[in-house]
Amino acid sequence: MGITRRLLAAVPLVLCGWALAGAAAAADKNVTIVLPEEPDIVDPCHASRSNIGRIVKQNVAETLTEIDPVDGSVTPRLATSWEQVDEKTWRFELRQGVRFHDGSDFDAQAAVGSINRTLSEKLDCEIRVKFFGPIELTATAVGPHTLEVQTVEPSPIMPTMMGTMTIQSPKAPADSLTREPIGTGPYVFKSWQPGQNVVLERFDGYWGEQPEAEKATYIWRSESAVRAAMVATGEADIAPSISVQDASDPETDVSYFDSETTAMRIDVTRAPLDDLRIRKAVNLAIDRSAFIGTILSKDVVPATQLVVPGINGHNPELVVWPYDPEQARKLIAEAKADGVPVEKEIVLIGRRGIHAGVTEVMEAIHAMLQDVGLNVKLQMVEVAEWVDIYTKPYAEDRPPTLFHTMHDNNNGDAVFTVFFKYHSDGAQSVLSDEKLDELVEKATYATGEERRQLWQQAFARINDELVADVPLFHMVGYTRVSPRVNFTPSISTNSEIQLQTITFNE
Amino acid sequence: MASASLPGAAGGLGARRWLAMLARDPLACLAALFLLLLVLAALLGPALIPESAGRMNLRLRNAPPFELANGWLYILGADTLGRSMLARLIEASRSTLMVASSAVALSFLIGGTLGVLAGYARGWGATLILRMADVLMSFPSLLLAVVVLYTFSPSIKNIVLVLAITRLPVYIRTARAEILELRERMFVSAARVMGAGPIRTALRHVVPFVLPTLLTLAAVDFAYVMLAESALSFLGIGIQPPDVTWGLMVAQGRGYLASAWWLAFFPGLFIMLTTLSLNLLASWLRVAADPQQRWRLEPGGKAGDAP
Amino acid sequence: MGSFIARRSLQSLVALAGLIVLVFFAARLTGSPADLYLPIDASVEARQAFNEKHGFNDPLTEQFGRFLVDLARFDLGHSIRKDRPALEVVLEAIPTTLALAAVTMTLAVAGAILVGSLAARRPGGAVDRLGSTLSLAAASAPDFWVAISAILLFAVALGWLPTSGMGTFWHWIMPVGVLLIRPFGILVQVVRGSMLGALSAPYVKTARAKGIRERTVVFVHALRNGLLPVITVAGDQAAGIVNGAVIVETIFGWPGIGKLMIDSIIQRDFAVIQASILVTAAIIFAMNIVIDLAYGLLDPRVRHA
Repeated sequence: MGITRRLLAAVPLVLCGWALAGAAAAADKNVTIVLPEEPDIVDPCHASRSNIGRIVKQNVAETLTEIDPVDGSVTPRLATSWEQVDEKTWRFELRQGVRFHDGSDFDAQAAVGSINRTLSEKLDCEIRVKFFGPIELTATAVGPHTLEVQTVEPSPIMPTMMGTMTIQSPKAPADSLTREPIGTGPYVFKSWQPGQNVVLERFDGYWGEQPEAEKATYIWRSESAVRAAMVATGEADIAPSISVQDASDPETDVSYFDSETTAMRIDVTRAPLDDLRIRKAVNLAIDRSAFIGTILSKDVVPATQLVVPGINGHNPELVVWPYDPEQARKLIAEAKADGVPVEKEIVLIGRRGIHAGVTEVMEAIHAMLQDVGLNVKLQMVEVAEWVDIYTKPYAEDRPPTLFHTMHDNNNGDAVFTVFFKYHSDGAQSVLSDEKLDELVEKATYATGEERRQLWQQAFARINDELVADVPLFHMVGYTRVSPRVNFTPSISTNSEIQLQTITFNE
Repeated sequence: MASASLPGAAGGLGARRWLAMLARDPLACLAALFLLLLVLAALLGPALIPESAGRMNLRLRNAPPFELANGWLYILGADTLGRSMLARLIEASRSTLMVASSAVALSFLIGGTLGVLAGYARGWGATLILRMADVLMSFPSLLLAVVVLYTFSPSIKNIVLVLAITRLPVYIRTARAEILELRERMFVSAARVMGAGPIRTALRHVVPFVLPTLLTLAAVDFAYVMLAESALSFLGIGIQPPDVTWGLMVAQGRGYLASAWWLAFFPGLFIMLTTLSLNLLASWLRVAADPQQRWRLEPGGKAGDAP
Repeated sequence: MGSFIARRSLQSLVALAGLIVLVFFAARLTGSPADLYLPIDASVEARQAFNEKHGFNDPLTEQFGRFLVDLARFDLGHSIRKDRPALEVVLEAIPTTLALAAVTMTLAVAGAILVGSLAARRPGGAVDRLGSTLSLAAASAPDFWVAISAILLFAVALGWLPTSGMGTFWHWIMPVGVLLIRPFGILVQVVRGSMLGALSAPYVKTARAKGIRERTVVFVHALRNGLLPVITVAGDQAAGIVNGAVIVETIFGWPGIGKLMIDSIIQRDFAVIQASILVTAAIIFAMNIVIDLAYGLLDPRVRHA
């Protein structure tokens, strides 16, 4: 056995001149990160996509501000300070002495150019579509290192918004996406072999502290078991988002809240779900505690609303729906007595692979709902079909649905959630509630404590009065980290992995 | 050995003689027994298994196999929702066998007919059939299935259809090849000369000869279709929960191979045993249906003999 | 011979044309790429604008016309997801799969000839029973299950092989091994069957009677003729190997055409779907022609009129 192993280990050394990745990596300050899926493109103007953001955001291309994922506060990055000039104008003081990887200077002109490129109609940059869609914005350089951002409508949270805006070199092509992104970050985008890897190398001219890791290699494996195995065998150092059943080693596997929240959208426009009692019954029928530590991680937390506590506007007063099947049956019986068609088939829609164990979760919910006497059909769909059902325009002849979703808001403010999901103009909203619309519109332009309270009232309206959702869980992710490195995953690990926070143990 | 005895002999064997030949091949015999049991389990199992075993019971989640503490229903362990693996496997055997047998029956009937036609008739119709088979054959069937199932939803009906279509060319080609070999043979020509119509000729003389070959093929194909169905489940586009097949169980259990191996192992084992049995039976059938080799399975011949 | 190639090529082109029409329309029935390209929060207007910009709002026939015009200029379109020419993306992925398939088929054929011939020497003997049953059993397991189990066993538990990826010789063992078992299992049966036939043929009996060594009889005289059906079946298996490649490439993280096709179908990257199917089918058609030619060379009875 010992000899066989040694022999087998020695042959590749002779054959290929170098040992397996694990052995080679041990000596140096390189880090290998294995991710679930390869990005199709790497342009930082798409950095809000997690498969791109995890590689380039803050590592290659930095943002003007950074959002603290724990409390939603805004901290400096490429901008050192900012002030609101008037309701519609913000002024950012930019960091001096910063260079892009190609040697050009970072100044207000460069920032304006990069912002304009990201917001250009010529490119379908996700940061524009996702965060700046309806906003008309003008950026101007009012001093060598002073940037002014003006909007047509009031923009109370512009510093938060700038936490999503990656800044690229003026040399980035204006009307096409780049495959070699150039930013100001601590790492240079060295190479990309499609299908194989992306390599980043430390940038000597970085304005901040030099990070420990000299080189970072990103590879991709679609199976969670394989990703976990790669860290176990030393072929990789960090494997974010492995599934709970693969997180079997407490020494290396860390759980963290990943800002994802699961819920089911109730189609309130379709009978029998248009009846408040039925919507309450659905919530009461689900035994949330049964999932914890079984199908899902023991660390998930039952949710009361679609945003996590760190988000500005989260309402801590809301309480988790209790599991009360008796009460649910009673409500259904009452509704039935009033002529509500409770026998009508409700379609429970879930998306395959939206998170580890989703099929089991959906099967369990299906069983629980049937248990209280609702007529439910489970339908698992793939991502495109799911998006189609999720977003407007909706099919006129749609059946009553309970639609399982997973929402990720780690951008600090509830505006990124509430408008889209619940305002009558929201792309994924089935509600049209005047009172709620009014709250949302007021909150969007409010600031400070008033803003927080208005969002909290909105969540109370959605979850307590309208019962438009079945909030399920604030999810956790698992990251397997090799003992040779230190890396603490956080709520933002789903959207960025800052290499500068990685240190080595030898 | 006279060629005239070929078709009649293959079709005219009595059931008792077939059984006797089966008994001469212990492996094929075991395979047949296993398949018989499987069909019985699929037909009768759901009636015998109490309904509670198929219900969610998170207390028993991932209960390990070979323990009787939870009752004999949990002898093969429990799945991620605490349902009895045994109950799930039996429930899945129904849809698995149903999907595979409908797909095989469809491609067998359609492909076999088209193949016989293409071999029997000449002209542009035959060419068209063959070229169609070529196109289907030269394209990776799994990808074709994925495209089709993304276009139309992955319902059981569509999965059966798409699996059947991707297997058509095999039957077309085989049936045609058999016919080509046969059509100029003495007895067919003789039948024609004696005034039998083409349909009558085909039914009386040709089909009985082609049938054993196609049946052998169908047995092998049954295995293929089961594996293709599980590959579709792996890609997420196969049978959808709450329906369940062995393939889906393997695909869902693969994430637990390191922590609860039985979730993927048992359905995988059943797929393997079923395909293996079918293959063994098919190779027995090949021998049994071939008059030149049949003697091996008959009294007097030794099963292990070299020629 | 020349006219044979010309005729077969023409037939293949017609078949390719049919395939591409099918794929073009089937792909577009699967839904709009906008849903997946744009973030979920994108407004209805943003989706409309995206579809308008990329021409997805035009009538299908017009889109198809554009596609044909481009095709005539050997332009297979632009991948929206990857923002690159689709053909470039496909050509990048092809070598990986070709290499994987070539190595796998070579080993499968060689192994099957060896095991199959040995099995045919003594039908019903130990080698025959064991070889046939084992090869069948291996080919009867779902390949993704075999792949993940192999990783857990050989890479994690035993530490003999790297889990996945490509690079060294050792990285090839598991992917090739997993991909190999199905064609191998089938080919063993074919070799065994055709060798059984060949070994009882008159010329082999003659050779034996002449006192030629048994090994020579089996591996030279019988094998040459027993090979013919093997070539046909191996050719058919080659198309099937792309099926296996889809699974193997996905699990082991190999950037081949199988994974590319699946990804592009999931993402509705129409240009890449079309290009990859077109190129793969063209390769398979070309290979089939070569196989037919080889068949003609080996078997003088087959004449290409």
